[in-house]
Parts: sequence; structure tokens; C-alpha cells
Amino acid sequence: MLKVEGVSFRYAGGEEPVLRQLSIDVPAGGIFGLLGPNGAGKTTLISILAGQLRAEGSVTVDGTPLEELRRREPASLGLVPQEFAFYPMLTCVENLRFFGAVQGLGGARLRERVDSVANFARIVNVMPRRAGELSGGLRRRLNLAIGLLTEPRILLLDEPTVGVDPQSRSFLLDSIRALAGAGKTIIYTSHYMEEIEAICDRVAIIDAGRVLRDGALDELLRDEAAAVPVRHNNRSLEALFMHLTNRSLRD
Amino acid sequence: MRVLLTLWVKEWLALSRDLHGLAVLFLMPAVFIVIMSLALSDVFRDGAGRQTVFAVLAAGGPNVSQALADDLAGEGFTSTAAPDNEAAAREQVRKGRLALVLIVPEKFGADPRAKLTLLADPTLPPMQIAAFLQRLQGATLGVKNAAPPLNLEVVGNPRGGKPSSVQQNVPAWLIFGMFFVVLPISALFIVERRDGTLARLVSQRVPFSMLLLGKVGPFFVINLAQTALMLAAGVTLVPWLGGESLALPSRWDLLAAVAASTSLAAIGWGLLVAVASRTLEQATVIGGVGNILAAALGGIMVPRFVMPESMQPWAALSPMAWALDGFHAVILRQGSLADIALPSAKLLGLAAAFLAAALWLHQRRRT
Repeated sequence: MLKVEGVSFRYAGGEEPVLRQLSIDVPAGGIFGLLGPNGAGKTTLISILAGQLRAEGSVTVDGTPLEELRRREPASLGLVPQEFAFYPMLTCVENLRFFGAVQGLGGARLRERVDSVANFARIVNVMPRRAGELSGGLRRRLNLAIGLLTEPRILLLDEPTVGVDPQSRSFLLDSIRALAGAGKTIIYTSHYMEEIEAICDRVAIIDAGRVLRDGALDELLRDEAAAVPVRHNNRSLEALFMHLTNRSLRD
Repeated sequence: MRVLLTLWVKEWLALSRDLHGLAVLFLMPAVFIVIMSLALSDVFRDGAGRQTVFAVLAAGGPNVSQALADDLAGEGFTSTAAPDNEAAAREQVRKGRLALVLIVPEKFGADPRAKLTLLADPTLPPMQIAAFLQRLQGATLGVKNAAPPLNLEVVGNPRGGKPSSVQQNVPAWLIFGMFFVVLPISALFIVERRDGTLARLVSQRVPFSMLLLGKVGPFFVINLAQTALMLAAGVTLVPWLGGESLALPSRWDLLAAVAASTSLAAIGWGLLVAVASRTLEQATVIGGVGNILAAALGGIMVPRFVMPESMQPWAALSPMAWALDGFHAVILRQGSLADIALPSAKLLGLAAAFLAAALWLHQRRRT
């Protein structure tokens, strides 16, 4: 289990903390959805879990501090950021080889992993093409493939379907389900409620750096149904989300 | 080491696919070298604006030296305190601290075999030496009613190569071009940060210091290629267009050491600007304006010897001036390791300071 306890973070020069004593428990295996309006702290939390930011509080995996786990098993955690985090001037295969090599893969193992993730993400046909020339859907698939190179057991997916057509989105969601089915723990952020409802087992709704609700998706919808005002009382995640975070614009 | 090599290969691939950006790094200093070498050739040939610093070392003691120095001073010649002995005088001329030293032997004027010796900096235009000799003849008329017997010795350049516009402008604009790697370094870095590639690499436990070092190798090679090509331009292109040819140094190892130190300082500057700037626009302004100010101050755009004396000490604050001192020590004065040690050490120290500042800034932003 990945356990986040009392995590607080404030950006240098920022007036308000982005995360305030935030705590969540992510069970091993399955897909954990992280929901929140813009500025809620989702990406900051992902960045802390990915080791990019240092925060107060503790993050452990099965009792082992995350930092120690990353030191001992650097490949245990994979990140698929919401940006296209690869080099547009390099071809797909060059990008995959580069990101594999900097994580310690080499020789036959690197070739095998590159082939495997290219097959999984269905980008084999575009491997010789420069990444900057790909369509939005193909870029998302390359972004996902890079995150899978080292077969991480925990995968952080930060809005991995933004800006893709329905076909690519459907393919990506199926792929993510398949990864969870293979035993990986996936933390998934998105603004698309129907995506979260479709693939997540558990959900945490956060706003202003705090957890407003968390738990199994079914239980959350059932328990909160009575509390949601009539006009939103359709037992959907979106209704619950809007009720908890209110309707004011955040940007 | 494997990770570093992987980062270098990636950087090369990315750079090699931006040929326009790469071409600017080579064309910009080459164009400056050609234009400035041709435009300023007459100024350098005549020694215009030059204040020639000289000293007199007389066997008769400091009072005799001072009296003769006072007679010789004026019209572009400034006297300074005499070195302790002939060896010190030679050393100072070799290092370019003194342009001329007149050595007056014992019994000069009484013994016809006693000859004056004039030590001359090889960078001094022949017209300046001729003018000094005329003043010397005037000053010694009281001692002897004829032209004084004289040994003229050029110190520091065994081949006797004379300074020219091209000897100032080739190293100067080469240094300027080398420091302009600040723009591609910071641009690549900021795009990596903006696109999340840097964050992804950090999450993959690639140390940030390694990511910075990953930029060093490819840009170091680019800087060395700039050095080779700009020297080649000074030897071939400038004379082909009507200017003077650059006399190449005999110590290529020292030239490489100065070029390497300059390159590391330039790359360090690029890394600091890359980490400190939040946007491409910021990096362009900080890096570009910083380079232009350092060049204006450091004797790149305006040679230091034509600056007013009050301004010359300020020039020593510019890293480009340190680099120019190093290149001049090798190209003009055929200097030794000792001559390039100080400028090279200053450049390497600056490179280390820039790198440390970039790492510190990154750490500060992470927490």
C-alpha cells in the first residue's frame, strides 16, 4: 500500500501552501483516481510522489519510505506527465532508447523493452518518425510507452488522455485497465469524470490542498447521495464533485 | 558514466537536427571577425590611441633612470617605475606589462663599446618603436653627439610576428561566439523543463547535476570546433578578403587549454542562465545582454588599450577579458604555461561557481 500522511507543500515565494496536511491510502493493485479542480494540488502531489519536489510529511510504500524505495529500486515507480515529456527532434525509437538507457537498461534488455512497450502502445509503425511530427493520440501513446519501459509497479498518470480523439482515449483507457489487471498500482488524475468512473476502483477528491472525500467509488456515490442537493442528485461522480468543490470558477 | 554518455548522444542528436541554430554559432563570430579585422586594420597598424608604457633601467641607479625616463615621456609614451633588474624587465615585457624597457649599461657615453639595449613588446607597432627611438636620440644628445649605439631586442615572440587587427579580432570575436552558447543551452533546457522532460528524468532518478553535465560535452565540442574554424578564418578568409593573416602559435596545447577554460566558463554561464530563467524570453535577454555587456567591458568590442586608463581596470572584471588575456598570451606572446595559468584558473573557477550556483538554485526551488 502507498500511504501519504500529513503531506504539506508550499512553492518557494508562494503565499499559500498548495498541499495542507494531505493524507490518502492507495491500496496495492487497481486504479486510484485523484480528482480536483484546477489548482487543487493534484499535479503537485504527483510531482512529490515522483520525487521532483520535497514536502513535509511522509510517503511510504508497504512501510518503506518512498525516497528509500526509489533509491533501492529506481524502476519501481513510473511517471507519465500531462505534458508530452519527450524530445520532439528525436524519433520515437530514439526517445524510447534514451529514456530506457538513462534508467539503466542496455543491450538486449533495452531492445526487448523498447519492442514490448511499442507493441503495447501500438506505435510500432511510427517508430522511425520524429516524435514532434506525430498526432496528439500517437504522442499520448508514446508518452505512456516511455513510462512503462522499466515495468514499474507503481505508475503515476497525470491527465494522460488530454487532447486526444475518442478512439485514442478508448485505447488508452483499455491499456490502463490492462496494466491494472496485471497487478500494477496506478494513480490517475483527470478532469474527465466519466473516465474516472469508468476505470477507477477508488477515488480521492481534493481541493485547496486537502482531501474532501476518499474511498471506493461505489461507496462514495452511495453514501453521499443523500447529501447532494436535489438538482445534482443523480448519483454521478460529477454531481458529487460539484457539490463538494462548489461551482465557482478556479482559474 | 553510461548515463552521461547517453545524455551526450541525445544532446548531439537534438542539436544536429537544428542546423540553423547551430550555424548561427559559427557564422556570427566568423562574420564579426572578418568585418572587424578589415574595418580596424588601419587603426591597429598605426597604433592609434595607444599609450606606450616604458621604463628605464640604468646602471647608474634609480635617479639616473628617472631622469632619463622623464626626458623620454610624452607624446604617447608614459614612463613607469623601473624593474629591479634585467631579468625582471624581460619578464615584464614578455608578459605584456611593459611595452618597452631601455637598459642603460655602466660607462655609457664614456666607453664607445657600451650599447643601449631596448627590449620591445612584439605587439608594439613598428611605428611606435621608431617614434620611441627618435625620442631616445633626442634625449641622449646631451650625452653623446650622435645617434646612440643600440641593440633592439623584441622579447616574447621568437618569430617576430607583429600584432595586427586580426590578432585582436580573431580571439575577441571567437570568445564572444563561444559565450553565445548560452542561448542554445538555455533554450534546450527551458524547453525540456516546460515540456516535462526534465521532470520525467528527475523522477527516473537521473541526478540533476548529471543533467547539467549532460549539456557540457556536446557544447564543449562545439566551442572547440568554433575555435578551430575561427582561427582558420583568421588564417585564410581574412587575408583572402584583403586583411592581414593571423600568425598561429607554436604551442597548440596551451591554445587548447585556454579554449577549454573559456568553453567551460561559457557553458557554466549558459547552465546558470538556463536554471535561473523561467521563460525563453528571460533567458534570451539575460544571456544576450549579459554577453554584450561582458564583451563591451572586456575589450572584445573596444580593445582595452584604446580605453581610457580609468576604465581599463574595470575591464579586468569581465570573464571575456580573462579569456582574451589567455588567447593573447599564446597567440601574440608565444607564452608559457605560467602565462596562461592565471586567466585559465579564473575561467575554471568561474565555471565551477556558475555550476554550483545553478545546482543551489535548483535545490532551493525544489523545497
